[in-house]
Amino acid sequence: MTWVLLGVCLAGLVPGALRWLRVAQREHYLAGSVFRFAGRWWRCGLNPALALPGAAGVVVAAWWPPAVLVTVAAGVVGPVGLGLRGRTSKLAWTRRLRTLAGVVGGLEVVAVGAGLLGGVRMGLVVAAWTILALPLVVDLACAVTAPLEERLAAGYVARAADRLRRVVPQVVAITGSYGKTSTKGYVAHLLGGSRAVVASPASFNNRAGLARAVNEHLADSTEVFVAEMGTYGPGEIAELCRWITPDVAVITAIGPVHLERFRTEERIVEAKSEILASAPAVVLVVDDGRLAALADRAATEGRRVHRVSALDPSADVSALVEEDGTLTVRAGGEELARGVPGHAQPGNVACAVAVALELGVDRAEIGRRLGTLPTVAHRLEPVAGSGGAVVLDDTYNANPAGARAGLDRLASLDSPGGRRVVVTPGMVELGPRQEEENARFAEAAAGVATDLVVVGRTNRRALLGGAARAGVGAARVEEVAGRSEAVAWVRAQLGPGDVVLYENDLPDHYP
Amino acid sequence: MTASPAAIAVAFGGPSPEHDVSVLTGLQAARELGRVGRSVTGLYWSKTGDWYQVDPALEATAFVEGVPRGAEPVRLTVGPGGGFASAGGRFGKARPLAAAVVVNCCHGGPGEDGSLQGALDLAGMAYTGPTVAGAAVGMDKLAFAGVVEAAGLPALPRRLLEAGSPDPGFPGPYILKPRFGGSSIGVEVVEDLATARARLGANPHLRQGAVLEPYRPDLHDLNVGVRSWPGLALSAIEKPVRATASAEILGYQDKYGGGEGMASAPRELPAALSEALAGTLRDCAMTVAELCAVRGVARIDFLADGETLFVNEINTVPGSLARYLWVDPVVPFGQLLDDMVTEALERPAARFSAVGADGAVLRAAGSIAGKLG
Repeated sequence: MTWVLLGVCLAGLVPGALRWLRVAQREHYLAGSVFRFAGRWWRCGLNPALALPGAAGVVVAAWWPPAVLVTVAAGVVGPVGLGLRGRTSKLAWTRRLRTLAGVVGGLEVVAVGAGLLGGVRMGLVVAAWTILALPLVVDLACAVTAPLEERLAAGYVARAADRLRRVVPQVVAITGSYGKTSTKGYVAHLLGGSRAVVASPASFNNRAGLARAVNEHLADSTEVFVAEMGTYGPGEIAELCRWITPDVAVITAIGPVHLERFRTEERIVEAKSEILASAPAVVLVVDDGRLAALADRAATEGRRVHRVSALDPSADVSALVEEDGTLTVRAGGEELARGVPGHAQPGNVACAVAVALELGVDRAEIGRRLGTLPTVAHRLEPVAGSGGAVVLDDTYNANPAGARAGLDRLASLDSPGGRRVVVTPGMVELGPRQEEENARFAEAAAGVATDLVVVGRTNRRALLGGAARAGVGAARVEEVAGRSEAVAWVRAQLGPGDVVLYENDLPDHYP
Repeated sequence: MTASPAAIAVAFGGPSPEHDVSVLTGLQAARELGRVGRSVTGLYWSKTGDWYQVDPALEATAFVEGVPRGAEPVRLTVGPGGGFASAGGRFGKARPLAAAVVVNCCHGGPGEDGSLQGALDLAGMAYTGPTVAGAAVGMDKLAFAGVVEAAGLPALPRRLLEAGSPDPGFPGPYILKPRFGGSSIGVEVVEDLATARARLGANPHLRQGAVLEPYRPDLHDLNVGVRSWPGLALSAIEKPVRATASAEILGYQDKYGGGEGMASAPRELPAALSEALAGTLRDCAMTVAELCAVRGVARIDFLADGETLFVNEINTVPGSLARYLWVDPVVPFGQLLDDMVTEALERPAARFSAVGADGAVLRAAGSIAGKLG
């Protein structure tokens, strides 16, 4: 009988393991992240009502084994809302995930095996415990496999470094809390007519990704390699620059992104500034006082500094928004182009122009190519929704400054139908400021919109609290469980003449 | 149809500007060969020159970010007993790839210029498409123009352009093309010689050399396919349609922007031509095919104004293997591929010979020092 229960227990481990493996994959296999997400999920909605009997089941099982069935049920069903395979972010059986799954299995075998030494009932209790502790087991597996992954990655990096030494391209390295990807696209476009350019694909901005970009995309004849460098912590960019040595380094913007890991914006500035350390030429958006200070420091270190601005026409390179929404680009006080279309982030355009000038691209050529700058898709471009309402899709944004720009855009649009709606799950990875930033955003949104639709539970409290601060006469607040419910609500409620802003979208491993 | 049971490897990708188009051609060929019951494997050649064995049923999107998931690294070794072999895992040893024939779908770079052919010849592997020499002359627009001119075929003048080149002897506007290349990538229309020279330094596609031709807006393109097995045969004549009225030349976007490769580009097929023009074109095409030793399937491009005809260039590994041209006579894609495979096995591209090197010279040679003295 107990043996049967043990079998049930072990089978019951599988769904939970799949769930938490998916979270580990989404969170870049950082040990500790699965436990954090488990805390979030088990706390919200009906899940506590599932967790408590689950835990009780293990305790009771020491005297009455069939109680483990309650625990198994809790582990199979819960946490409710966190899917097995995922909708936005599917579990992908990569080599790395298979390794991790193998180690999780191994740890289970060791734990249950050790329990069985104390008798079959002891084995059963241990197995039941590990159902509850699966997030920790997955975290432990992440920690155990980290050195192995590190060795594998080192091999790819060594190959990439070797390739860079052979191809010897000029390297443009771009970092920033946001705007990296657009700036990279602009640089590639401005250089495209006169240089053989290879830009790292969007998602390839860490060590493994950049190694892959070099190994698979840096063809022999490449003259310029544009590398986007992201960072999750201090020292990462410095390490990247040891093997991808920048000839031109760019910092686009500093903002409260990944504060969960950095804690303060000062530490973000420090981490981003590592990109400047070995570059003979640097490009900085001096509209941010902290980047202006970095520019001054770089100048005293003898680097060629390009100070660029979206506000000051006397900067080395400037891109200013005119009344009609187009950009005028100036370099060294002279106009390079005007009427540059699109809602392009002007600071990013200025950065790209400075890079092109630094690499010796002809001014006339830059002016010409500015006219055909690719506009970034889905960025606050009003489109007609299926129900007739106008849709502002800002789901790729995840930072407070961008969210505010989204609200401004919403306020600037006519809504003859009378309703302006903001649909948002809030922003994440803002560390100690997450609660306050979301509350502030909700407060501002409630002032602009007629309805605020709060999606999911991750930032529910902060958003509701912020909306309440906006006081009487502010937006009505609606709560929905997830993205599809939000879309259904919009379809049912809004019609022609109404406007809806979708601000940020969270992958479905967030509650 | 000669249904040979040989295992087939379809090679595509490669360190070429046409890497992406080649992926489309390769996946189409692999899919079709599988459909007609051949045993197929995919051989993906990365932009950085690495080879991988991939699932031939993959979709193009699997290659967007680079080497697709599940790809297994393989190596190409030359010399006796050479060929493709998996690198072998930590415990396994190198395992040769079971492939009697390589179906070459590599456009616009190595694979269409003779270099891959050279490696496969040295590895002793059978492959479809042009030989080293056929590919090399097709890829070099200047050499090709010379061959055409020497045979007395009609062609527009084509001159090498370097920083110090003399006046080409014909007035602008000009078409400036990369000397080596299989498509319209890097091709520009320029007003005058000064602009052409300035573009030499600026356009990265012209770094390996550039050729200059008169730009004739009154001319349009006419293309014809030619295949070599079981005998030299021509396809219907195609008149590609320029997608945009303002486009000065048939551009890369016109040909490949649609996403399916050449096979889905807008066209008039068969083109409505006068019998006389069609006849001249066919004669010229047969001569070019013989001059360039066409093997497999090639596409020969002409320029015409309705009466006059000029030979423009040859694509020895054309996009989609020019499968869409075979409407009259009808040749299904499976048949086209099957004939290419049969030819690859029956008529090797290269057979090195040592006849005559019988030692007589060596015996009579005396000392090397004596020769140096």
